[in-house]
This record gives sequence, structure tokens and C-alpha cells, in this order.
Amino acid sequence: MGDIRQSLLPRDVLSAAKELLYHLDIYICNLVQSGRQPPQVDSKTLELVEEFILHAPKDRNTPGRRMSALQELQLLEIMCSCFQEQSRDTVRQLMFSALFSLQGNQADESRMALLGKLVSMAIAVGRIPILECAATWLQRTHCVYCVRLAQVLVDDYCSMVPGSVPTLQNIHSASPRFCCQFITAVTTLYDLTSEELTPPLELLQMIVSWIQDDPRLVLITFLNTPLSGSQPISSLDVTPLGGLMRWCVKAPLAYRRDKKQVLTNGSTENEPDTGPLFSALHLSVLQVFMLLPNILNEKGLFGRLALLQMESLAALTSDLSRLLDQADKHTHTSSTDTHALSQLTLDRLAQALQVAMANGALLCSREDLRAICSRLPHNNLLQLVLSGPVMYYNNIHTPPLAFSPHAAHSPIASHPTHPAHTPHTPHTPLTNHPSSHPQYPGQPFMTGMPFPFRPSH
Amino acid sequence: MVKDQAMSVVFDGSPLKAMQSSHTHSPRTALSTQELSQEIKSFISGVDTVQGRKLSVREHARCAVRLLRSVPACRGAVLEHLRGVYDEHVSAFLHNLETEGDANSVVSSNLEDIIQEVHGVLSEFIRLNPRAWAPLVSTWAVDLLGQLSSKHAGRRVAPHSSSLNELLQLWMSCAATRSLMEAYSLCLAAMLAWCPDACVDALLDTSVQHSPHFDWVVAHIGSAFPGTIISRVLACGLKDFCSHGTKDQGLMVMGGDKGNRVPKIGSVVGILGHLAAHHSDSIRRELLRMFQESLNPSGPLSPTSSSTSWESSPQLRRAAVPFLLQLAAMSPNLFGAVSAELVELLRPPVLLQLQALLQGLPREELDNMLGLAVHLISQSPSGGARVLRFLADTATPASVIISGPTPSPHEGVREGCDRLLQMLLLHLHKLVFNRSDGTEGNPFHSASSQPQRVTPFLEELQSHVGELCAETLRLERKRHLWLHQLLCLLSVYGGPSVATEAFCQLLTQARNPEELALAWQLHTTLSSCMAGLIPAAVARCVAQIHTHTLGPRQLRQLLLNLAAAIQSQDEERRGSVGAQSSMAIQVGSAVSGHLHDFGPLLLHGDPAVSHATVRLLSCSPLPRTSSPAHLLLLSRAAVTHFFLALRRRGEGGKMGRDGGQAGEAVNCSVQLLSRFAAYSPLTLKAVLQQLVEGALHKGNADLFGGQIADMSGAPLASPSVSPDLGASLLDVNCRFGTTVNFSGSVWSVFHAGVIGKGLKIRTATQLLDSSSVIQNVQTLLAVVVQCCSSSGLNGSINGSRLPSDPDEPPPINAEAAKVVAVTLVENVCPDVANGELSWPPEEHARTTVERDIHIRRCFEAHPVLFPLLQVVAAGRPALCYCSAVLRGLLATLLAHWEASREISSTDSPWHLQASCLLVSCMGEGQLLPPVLANVHEAFPLLTPFEVRLLLLAVWEYVRGNGPMPQKFVFSSEKGLFCRDFSRDGDVARYVAPIHSVLHKNIDRLGHLCWRFQL
Repeated sequence: MGDIRQSLLPRDVLSAAKELLYHLDIYICNLVQSGRQPPQVDSKTLELVEEFILHAPKDRNTPGRRMSALQELQLLEIMCSCFQEQSRDTVRQLMFSALFSLQGNQADESRMALLGKLVSMAIAVGRIPILECAATWLQRTHCVYCVRLAQVLVDDYCSMVPGSVPTLQNIHSASPRFCCQFITAVTTLYDLTSEELTPPLELLQMIVSWIQDDPRLVLITFLNTPLSGSQPISSLDVTPLGGLMRWCVKAPLAYRRDKKQVLTNGSTENEPDTGPLFSALHLSVLQVFMLLPNILNEKGLFGRLALLQMESLAALTSDLSRLLDQADKHTHTSSTDTHALSQLTLDRLAQALQVAMANGALLCSREDLRAICSRLPHNNLLQLVLSGPVMYYNNIHTPPLAFSPHAAHSPIASHPTHPAHTPHTPHTPLTNHPSSHPQYPGQPFMTGMPFPFRPSH
Repeated sequence: MVKDQAMSVVFDGSPLKAMQSSHTHSPRTALSTQELSQEIKSFISGVDTVQGRKLSVREHARCAVRLLRSVPACRGAVLEHLRGVYDEHVSAFLHNLETEGDANSVVSSNLEDIIQEVHGVLSEFIRLNPRAWAPLVSTWAVDLLGQLSSKHAGRRVAPHSSSLNELLQLWMSCAATRSLMEAYSLCLAAMLAWCPDACVDALLDTSVQHSPHFDWVVAHIGSAFPGTIISRVLACGLKDFCSHGTKDQGLMVMGGDKGNRVPKIGSVVGILGHLAAHHSDSIRRELLRMFQESLNPSGPLSPTSSSTSWESSPQLRRAAVPFLLQLAAMSPNLFGAVSAELVELLRPPVLLQLQALLQGLPREELDNMLGLAVHLISQSPSGGARVLRFLADTATPASVIISGPTPSPHEGVREGCDRLLQMLLLHLHKLVFNRSDGTEGNPFHSASSQPQRVTPFLEELQSHVGELCAETLRLERKRHLWLHQLLCLLSVYGGPSVATEAFCQLLTQARNPEELALAWQLHTTLSSCMAGLIPAAVARCVAQIHTHTLGPRQLRQLLLNLAAAIQSQDEERRGSVGAQSSMAIQVGSAVSGHLHDFGPLLLHGDPAVSHATVRLLSCSPLPRTSSPAHLLLLSRAAVTHFFLALRRRGEGGKMGRDGGQAGEAVNCSVQLLSRFAAYSPLTLKAVLQQLVEGALHKGNADLFGGQIADMSGAPLASPSVSPDLGASLLDVNCRFGTTVNFSGSVWSVFHAGVIGKGLKIRTATQLLDSSSVIQNVQTLLAVVVQCCSSSGLNGSINGSRLPSDPDEPPPINAEAAKVVAVTLVENVCPDVANGELSWPPEEHARTTVERDIHIRRCFEAHPVLFPLLQVVAAGRPALCYCSAVLRGLLATLLAHWEASREISSTDSPWHLQASCLLVSCMGEGQLLPPVLANVHEAFPLLTPFEVRLLLLAVWEYVRGNGPMPQKFVFSSEKGLFCRDFSRDGDVARYVAPIHSVLHKNIDRLGHLCWRFQL
């Protein structure tokens, strides 16, 4: 593969890139056919990619050649069709990772830029294979880069081109896996700590509608991923549940702040209220939690795998206590309003905690929870959740306390790894499950769940 | 046609808006992914993939716009493609202009709607999401604008890049560039709110890249957002300057190294330079604001300056002053705008702050700044005088005695200023003396041929030479040293004219020898490289005199200074030899060339001026040659001044004040007259003539004890009552044309008074006391004698004779005495009949009785006549020419004595005195032999009749031995003309009456007998 460099050098930028892609395709096909395990692309090839596709400067003396935006578009177009036409999933994955897996070198910047454009374009023109590859990429890559990719997509579709939200909306049907990873990345990105990190309304609407349509969407990655310990460190969470829960809990406070700013800015723009959206989202999240026991049981992981991490929960509660403090300090005028919002926040937190614990998504004792929530202001519901009798899981056969909640990376020997799912039927086992009740009001699920302690009034 | 349409678009802008709105509401059908894929393919290949035909430019562009709306990833490619479209349109537009719009107008209009469509889409995007789009579009638009402007700069229709307005007109009439410009403005307006620096950065970068052709964009944007652009541009420049470090700045200024080391400051200068045309005020404000805020101690941030952030960084604030200096160094415009007000700002508190700020800088940097500041000052085209005054004021050490205009600054500040000033002088010195390298060997040439580097600071100061001189002459501590050095430089720089001016000013303004010495120092410095400075300066002074630009005080000072200059020459001659000698000689010769110009000043109304003039003239050498007219005028003025001086001395003596000065004036006047008389026969004659005439003049007579016969018989009015009749012949004449009023008009005014109002009031004549009369007479005589005995004529006649005895006064010159004599005769005896020298018999005197009486009255009225006669007598044989006067006087005296019935001759004192003086004069003049001449000694002891007898004997002798000049012979050993009486007839015949009288009165006249021995 290294010997083609000399033939590529005299070509113009675009045709060199094209030719390299072509050779890469052949090379990877050969690699897969040779049956060597694991198929590994050698470093020479990676260097060629960096030189002729990503145009990273090879050394200081020769300034890297650059493609014009038009040429780049052509290259993207070629890549799109290349991935589209490649029928073998393995080859595609290998090729994608040869092109876009981060190497920790200078070329990473252009790699990310090109990836952003490619994914954005794939969304626009509906190149599902690329989205699938990207979903895998999102699973394997450090979350910082995942967040960047999400940012590019959000910028492209939600802020730059006003009419293109529907296009993005389509990824739900085109590649649910990608969609799930996208949601995870987006919830990681927008942690509601500042105005910039508040999700755009369009994005919010889109995500809510996705999850309302199909709550299991958020679990797709979890369902399709073999928990074989191959989860790289500090990658994205397996599910966006933690992020979504954070959104719902913090939203009343964050958006109240936004609203206040809008008022002080004198802007008369009346945006649609985000309250109902977050309520619906909260409901959906709770519903997803309730789906978990079956799935976990199926996988034999109930009580062993915590989908909500204790650390992120701790971060959330300390954040919350800070925000609530601020809210108390800074608002004197509309204290009733503030109080209501704070209570809403704490209510949601309590609900989520309760449901998550009950359904095995959160593995911890109430003592741990009390420690975490000790600094939060008083809330009846939270009080109930925290002070309730020590309640173990419904399925008492699993020893809860002995098991580390951070066991996600520990291999579980009793469960063989799942075979690789075909991208198009990722959640077939779950299709007959009662999925969503978007028409339900906010409360009814409370009745259906086991609630061991009731207030004594 | 197309242009008209385009122009209308420029000015109302409505078509664009209409297009935009129509496009924003155009139905947008969401394309399917397949369609989008097709669209992308079409866009890439330029071929309609469905129909398989090639896309037109227009369709291609439409396709691009569709992609822009639907596929975010194509953004870059679309914008890049649109560059081509815009370029195409500009080409078509220009082509259209070049071909006068006959053929292809369709093409351009076709593209125009596409461009408006694109513009619509872009502006919609920008409006919807400025944060995302404004940076993108602004960069794109600016870059494209730069590219387009420089690409098409060479087109035939494109005006030259220097004519900014035409360029602006052209580009704004092109839809493509106008749309880009509007898009950019939109972006800028949006971005100013949150990231002002980024957009200006892009503008600056592009401006650097497409330097002259892009200027119209900057100019347009700048005038659209003047306030923000200016401050942003400055802030950007400052940041860039700070990040590039200040190491290169010294290099840049000195070597003019315009490399790309500090790229932005160049375009900052360019942009501000453009904006300076219309927004110089705001630029100045911003620059000064930057300066002031950089000085504010780093306290809490002021809430007002939240938009700009540079104030918050101490590093940037410290760099602000060097940055501003650098900016000023690179743009004279900016510097000019700021410099004037900057000096006003530099009050002591500000200076302290500045010092505090600069103390932190490393020494090397400080030196750089100092050099830069010096460079700037020397290049500043205006306000140099103010800067100089500021520097001098601040650098002058505080003193208890001299309180400057500003309170004394901090010592450190003062030292800084001192250093700055020194360096400035050094720099100027280099500039001045190095500017013409080739002509160092020939410094006289340096002023003329070589094209010279202009130093604006000196240029400007040239007009302030006067003030500089005045400041210098205040002799304040160090200040006058600096200023004097500057004056020297200025003189060398400005060449002879400035040097002359400076020298002239110093001469005019110096008030004492110390101050005058500054002028000599200046001359000493300049004399090496400038010839003819002194004559030019003197000529200039004279010109000032002629134009009456000097007040009396200045005039006096100037004259005194010149005199002092010349007098220093005399001192030199006596004592030490110095550099001044040649200069004193030069001044002398220069002044002597302009004597006739100074002459009229002798009669200046201000006594001080005339005194100064006489002082100058009395010590200045006389010119080698001079025209008679000038000489006569001068002599007239000198003589007139002499009498004026005498009168002033008299008055001054009464006042008690100025007495010394008046006396000195008289002395000078005497000296002047004598020297002048000695100059040439002509002047001698003129001076003597005028002296005599002046002495006898009605107005001057009282000086010498004379009395004017008052014709009117009116009684003397008491001095308290002096009724003004209000009748003035002058007034009447003035009114004559307008009124016809014959009552009390010109006809009724007579010299004796106004008809009907009685006789004219006699003015009270103030008689001088006898002592001053005597003094005046003595002075006059001294002058006349000096004139007569001066070397002017002596040299020509008896030049070989050396003064044998220095104690003996030099003899009266015969020619000079003759002049006096003739003048006397003309004045005393206006009737020329019987004017021959020889005397008739005594009886014939009765034919000239009237004339004789007139002569006698003259002698009565002018006592000074007798001394004058004595002078004439001393210059033998000049008295001969007075023959008529002597005869007339003698005739009247004879008549008087004959008619006198007094007992003693002493009873008619005047006649006795006159007789004595007359006879002694005639004896002195050797009209009479000694025997006869001595008779007057007996007169007071005789009776009137006896006096008549003796006088008659005198008459007889003279009648017998006529007073003829040819009877005198020059005796070389005496150096005088002498008459040998032995050649005449026997004296004894005439002595008989004398002896008779002796015999008769031997009791009283015995002691005189020996006087009458033959």
C-alpha cells in the first residue's frame, strides 16, 4: 500500500484522494478476506490517508496541500457513494475507522472537520451506512470528540440552515443507532450550565418527539452492544438516560434563568414554552427506566450494571444545590415562582431517583443517596424517597450491596457476547413491548409502580 | 442605460429589498434525500443529472442556492462557487461599461437577479442566526471583495486606486460588489454586539492583502460605522502591536523597513488615513482617549468601557503609548490630528502618570520611544512652537526666582523632558548638518542647489523666530542655551533669510550687553557657513525702519544695539583681540552703507530714538562714496538735530531729569557734525552753511540769546489767560470747499490777528538764562570750530602739515571760514547791492543807511553773530568776504557815536561792545594792522566822539587798504594765511587820530600807549 505514494504525488489533490480511496477499498477487502484476526490497517496506510485525504502537513518544510471547498465537496460525495456501494459491513467499518479514528496527531483536526462534513452530508442525503459507521465511531471515541461532532451537526441543522431540521429529524428512522448516540452526545454537550450550553429549541423538540415516538430509542446502543469490556475509557455513556435526566431536572432552573435574561434584554420574542417539552421528556425518561427491568433480566444484568453512574448523579446534585442557592439569593421578587420551580426540580429529581432505583438503573443504597442529596433544600417527595425504608430490589435474589456500581467495564462471564446485530433490525426483540404512552398525562405511571412507602396523611 | 438602472439601485436600495422579501417567502419544498443527492451531483458536475444537459451559469447558481438552503455541509463549496458567479457578474458589468452597454446587457442582468437571490438568502440567514452566519459571511464577503477589487483593478474603466470616490462610485453601482458590501455591513452590524474584534481583524487582514484596491471597502465600511470601526481598528492594532512585541519598532522607523513584521499597523494607518478625511474629529478623539485611558491607574474597570477590553490588560495599556507613537510615526495625518491637542493634555498630573507608566519599561524600549518621539517632533508639521514651549517649560529647572507658566513638575518628569529636549536638539543638529552630504566641502553652496530634506519642525518654527529670540533673550537658566542652539540650527536650516531674521530679531530685542552677546554668539556660529549675514541683517533692520514695523522703543533699542556693536570695535582696537572685531567692522561698514536711511531718524519725534540715532551715526564710519543728495539730506538732518538737542538740553536742565542724556546727545551731535564735516568739502560746506543759518534762524535764535523783533504792539497776555480764538487758516481752508462763509473767513485772517478780534496775542517768549545761553553759544562755536578745523579741507589744502603741537588747537581752515563768512553775509545782509569787498568813502555810507540799520538790528537780535565773526576772522582771509556786513555795522556805529551826546561811551553799552568786538574781529582777521586793531581796548575809556574818531580812522584805513583776500599769503611754517602790512601803504597816516586821542586822555590811557606804537 505504501508504494502507491509515488504515483499519488503528482496527481492533483482531488484525484489523488479519489485514487487513494479506491486503493484503500481494495486493500481493506483483501485484509478482510485474508481472515487475519483482528483485521488491522497498517500505519503506512494511515499515513497515506493523512497525507492525501486529510492533507495534514507531512513536515514543516512542505506546506500541506489544501483542497478547495468544491473539491472537498466532491470528495465527500465520492466517499458517500463509496460507503453506500460497499456492501460488506466489516469493510465499511474498517474503512471508516481507517479514515476517521483519531490517532492523536496533527491530522485529527482536519479529520474531525472532514468527519463533521461527511456525517452532515450523509444526514442530508440519507446515507445510512455512513450513519451506522458514525454511530460506531461515537461509541468508540473519546466523548470530547463525540461532543464536537454533535456540535457540528446541531450547528448545521438547527442553527445555520433554518429549514433543515426535518432532515435531521429523519435520522431517527434512517439510523436509530446513530440517533441514539447523537442524543447521548447532545445531552453530554448541553449540560445547561450556561446559555451557550442550553440546547436549541428545535433540537429539544426533535429529541422529545423522537423519544415520545419510541422510548426504546435511547436504549438501542445498550441493547446492541455486547458488554464485552470493549467499552473504551471516557467514551460516551451507553445510554443518554443520565443526560436526559439531568436536562429534565435542571431545566426549570436553567430556563427560568434564560427567561429572566430575555426579559432584561427587553426582547419581545416569545418563544414557545419549554416547560411542557421537558415534562414530556421527563415522562419518557421515566418510562424508559421502567422498561429496564425486563431488558436487564433478559441480559442477566439486573442489579449488576448501573446505567446511571453515581458520580454523575453526585455532580448533578451538587450542581442543583448551587443553582438553588443562587435562585434563593438572587430572586426576591418572584419568590413564589422561584419556589415552585425549585420544587419542580426537586420533584423531578426525586421521581427519577426513585424510578431509577426501583428499576435497577441506579445501584446504590439510600445512605449513599442521602449523602449526595444532603445539601439540597427540603422537598417532601425527595424526603420520602430518601427516608423510605431500606428497600431492596424487587428481585431480591441479587445481592445488591456486594456488587460494585461501577462494574460496567468488568467482564461478565456468564453472558456470552451478543452476535453483531444487523443495523436494520437492531431492536427486533423489543418490538412487541408496550413502548410508549405519549397521550398519558404526567401522573398515571405512579400508580403502576411499586411504591413501598406512602406519606402518613 | 444599465448604469442608470444600477445607480438607482444604489441610491434607494429598494429593489434589493424587494427581491429579498420575495425570496424569503418563496415556497420551500423539502427535498428528499435522493433529490438532494442528485442536486449535489449536478452541482459538482455542472450537469443536470436528470436531463443530462449542461447547466447554465444561472441554473448552476440556483442549484447552489438550493444546496445552501438544504445541505449544510455544502456551505463552503457553495460560497466558493458563488465567488465565481460574482466574479462573472463583475466581469460582465465592467465589460458592459467598456463596450458602452450595446450587446451583452442581458447577461449581466441575468446574473444580477441571481446575485440578488443569493443576497436575499444570505441576509435572511444572517438575520435569523447572526452568531452562526455573520462571521462566515463577513469573512467570505470581505475576502471576495478584496479579490474582486484587486483582480479588476487594472480594467480600463476602473479608476485609479487613488481616486477613492470614483472607485466607490463604480463598485457600488455594480450589483455584485454592492450586494457583498451590504452583506458585510449586515454582518458587521450584527457582530459588533459580541465580537467586534474578529470582524475588524478580517477587514484588516484583507486590507493588508489587497492594499490599495481594497481601500474603497474600508472607506465605505468606515464611514458607515465610524465610531466603532475607529476604536476597533485601534484596539486591533494595539493588540497586534503588543503581540508582535515592540522590538522591531525602532528598526522600522529608522530604517524604514516596511516588512511584514507588523502587518496590521500598516493597514491601521491606511484605514485611519482614509477615515481622516471625514471623521478626523472622531479619530482624534479616539486616539486621545486611548492615550488617556492607558494612563489611568489600573483601578476598577470603568463600566462605560465594557465594549473594549484592552484597558483591562496592564500589558496592553503599557503598550498603548509606544503604539500611538508608532502610529503617529507612520502617518503624518494622524500625527497632525493628535499632536496639537496632545500637548494641551500633558498637564503635570498626566505627566506624572505617564512617568509612572513608563518607569516599568526596559531601558532599551525607553530609548526607542525617546528616539521615536524625537523623530516625531522633528517631523511634526504644525504645533512645533507649542511643543517646544512645553518641553522648555517642563525641562526648565524649578526655581524660586523664575516662576514658569506651569507649576514646577516632578523632578523625574523634568529630567525626562530635559533629556528629550537634548536629544531633539542633537537630532535636529544631525538633520541640519547632514542633509546635503555632497556639499560638505563647500558650505556656501549648501543653501542653494542641493535638493534638501525638509524638516517640518524647523519649517514651522521659521515663522516663530521672533518669539524664539524673545524667549532666548530672557536668559533663563538652561532655557536660553537650548533655544540659542535651536536658533543656530534654524538659521543654518533656513538659510540666509532665516538667519538674517534671527539676527535681526536679536539685534532688535536685546536690551543689554549680555543679551546682545547672544547675537554675537549666533553670528560666530553662523559666520563659518554663511557669508554676508551682517549686511543682510542690517539691510533688514533698515527695511523694518522704513515700514514702521518697529515701535519707538524697539527702534531705539535697535539703534543703540547697532551703536554698541560698532563701538565695541573701538574697544577692540584698544585692548584685547576677539572674535567680535571683524564683526564690529562688518556692522560698521553695513551701517555706513545705510546712513542715509538712518538720517531721517535723527528728527524722530521720540527724543530717545533720535538720541539713539545720533549715537549710532556719531560712531559709525562714513561710507567711502555717497551721493550728494544723501549727503545733503543727512547734513540737514544732522544740523537740525543739533539744534533740537541744544533745545532739549536746555529743557532737560530745567527738568533735572534726562539732563545727562540730553547733554550726551549734544556731544554726540557735535561729534557727528564734526566728523561729517570732515568727510568731504561738500558736506563741510553744507554743514557749516546750515549751522550758521540754523543759528540765525528765527526759531533757534533764543537758544543763543537772540531776540526776535516783535512787530505787533499788543501787550503781553498773562500766561494764565490764553484765549483760543478758534481761528485757524488751515481750518478755514479745509472748509473752503463746503461752505461759503466770508465772515471770519480766510480773508479776515492776517498775520497780525483776526480782523475784528484785535491783535494777535503775543506769545510769551521764554528767555533762557544767561548761563545756558553761554553754554549753547559755546557749543555752537565748538561745533563750528571743529568743523572748520577738521581735516576735510585741511587735508586737501595743507595735508602735508603735521600737527606740530598737540596742545595748540588746529587752525581754522580758510575755506571753511569762507563758507561761514559767506553764509553770514547772506543771512545778515540780504541786499546784495554794493556788495563789493572794497570800502567806499565814509560819506557814501548814507546811501546804504537802511541796509546798515538792518544789519545792525541783526547783530542786536543775534548776539551769536559776533562769536561767529570771530571764528571767521580766525580763518583768514575769510573775513574779507564779510566786508559788507562789517561796513554796514561800522557805518551804523559811526552814526550812533556821532549822534551820541552821552558823557562816556559806556553809556551805550551795546554799541560800545559791538564796536570793540568789531574792531577786534577785524584785527584778528588782519583787515587792520595791529596798531589799529588795538584801538578797541581804549573804547570804554573814551567819550562817544572820540570813539567815532577812532572808528573813522579804522574806516579810513580799510578804505585805503581794501580787504582783499589776494593780499593774504600762505605761510607754510605757521600753516596760516598772513597779510604783510608792509606792502600796504603807510599806517602812520591813520594812526594820527589815535595818537591825538591818546594825548588828550593820557591820564587814563597811559597804560595803553605801548599798544599803539608802530
